[in-house]
Amino acid sequence: MISVKELIKESRFSGNYFAPDAYIQGDLESGLIENRDGGRLLALPESFMRAIYEGLAEEVGSASEAVLYKCGAWWGKTFYRRFAGEVSQHLGRPLAEIDMIEFLQCFKQCWKTHGWGTIELDFDFYQNGFIVVQIYNSAFAKTSPTLDKPKCFVEAGLLSSFFGGLTGQKLHCIQTTCESMGADCNHFVLGLPERVKRAEAWLQEKHDHATIMKRLSQSQTDC
Amino acid sequence: MDTALQSLIYAADDHYLSDADLDRFHKDVHSLAERVEAYETLRDRELAILQPAADYLSEEFPNADPKLLERGVIHWLNILRYSSMAMLLNNSEFLSQRILEWMPDIVQAYQLQDIEKALYRCLQTQLKSSLSPEQLNLVKPYLEEAYATLLNVKPALQPSA
Repeated sequence: MISVKELIKESRFSGNYFAPDAYIQGDLESGLIENRDGGRLLALPESFMRAIYEGLAEEVGSASEAVLYKCGAWWGKTFYRRFAGEVSQHLGRPLAEIDMIEFLQCFKQCWKTHGWGTIELDFDFYQNGFIVVQIYNSAFAKTSPTLDKPKCFVEAGLLSSFFGGLTGQKLHCIQTTCESMGADCNHFVLGLPERVKRAEAWLQEKHDHATIMKRLSQSQTDC
Repeated sequence: MDTALQSLIYAADDHYLSDADLDRFHKDVHSLAERVEAYETLRDRELAILQPAADYLSEEFPNADPKLLERGVIHWLNILRYSSMAMLLNNSEFLSQRILEWMPDIVQAYQLQDIEKALYRCLQTQLKSSLSPEQLNLVKPYLEEAYATLLNVKPALQPSA
């Protein structure tokens, strides 16, 4: 029989830790916006994001893609550590004891509350060794110069590090569709580097996301 | 914060509130005492409301994994608590942001739909016997919203385009 009294005593309850009204706090007198853990938050205007893209393009040209990916990867590494710590502390359990679905729900809410758009995770290709991520209303896609290829390198880098931390494996991330090119959302594919990087050639050939995923899945059986 | 009151405050940025707005303000403040009373009843009778529902669940699903049944009970413990607070604040966004954006994917992932439905059915009976009709009417919209959201989920994982 279930003892509700024991359940209440164990305090295994948690609402949305990242609910905006609870997560974003601050001391307006001092000009500080903070998260509920005391970490400082900053508002990033779109004009600043555009300036980063334009400044980098001017300074390093086509290498800006690699620079942005690397920035995202560094950010993702520390973000994963901090995020995992916050969630573990809030739920009162070590990371190993937290359900993956709960952890990923926290991740989705955290993403949304920080104003980075909304994020969905697709595990349909997990058995083939890939995770697909869909991001809607990406701040990075919106502020990137509209060109003929996906531009969310910061997010790709962040996702590779974040899920690399989560899985304990070195992962690579490639963006296959981009809102800056008129797509309804930004698709990213995560997987082992030697496998995911095959998609770069197919992207250059202008294949769509579905075709790329089909080929990636087939490439596993071809190995 | 009560979103209706918040809207009135923003609306009165450069003028006094109209008679109609003041009426709304008055009604809202007037109902606060009733909402506090309903909140206290829900708080004080939490065990009396939920334990019979948990017992019913164990009888209704004798072969189910006890961990899944516990998960269902914990969901409705949370829903009741946050619905009570949402009622107190007169703010349905509070319930949505704290629980309803959070839970449906978990219900879907663990296939808890039948358990959640059974619990809700039993809870409705328990609440009728624990609350006055007026108190029940105050919290019912939030519980109905929670139930509709939990059980009307779209699949959490979308197939690739």
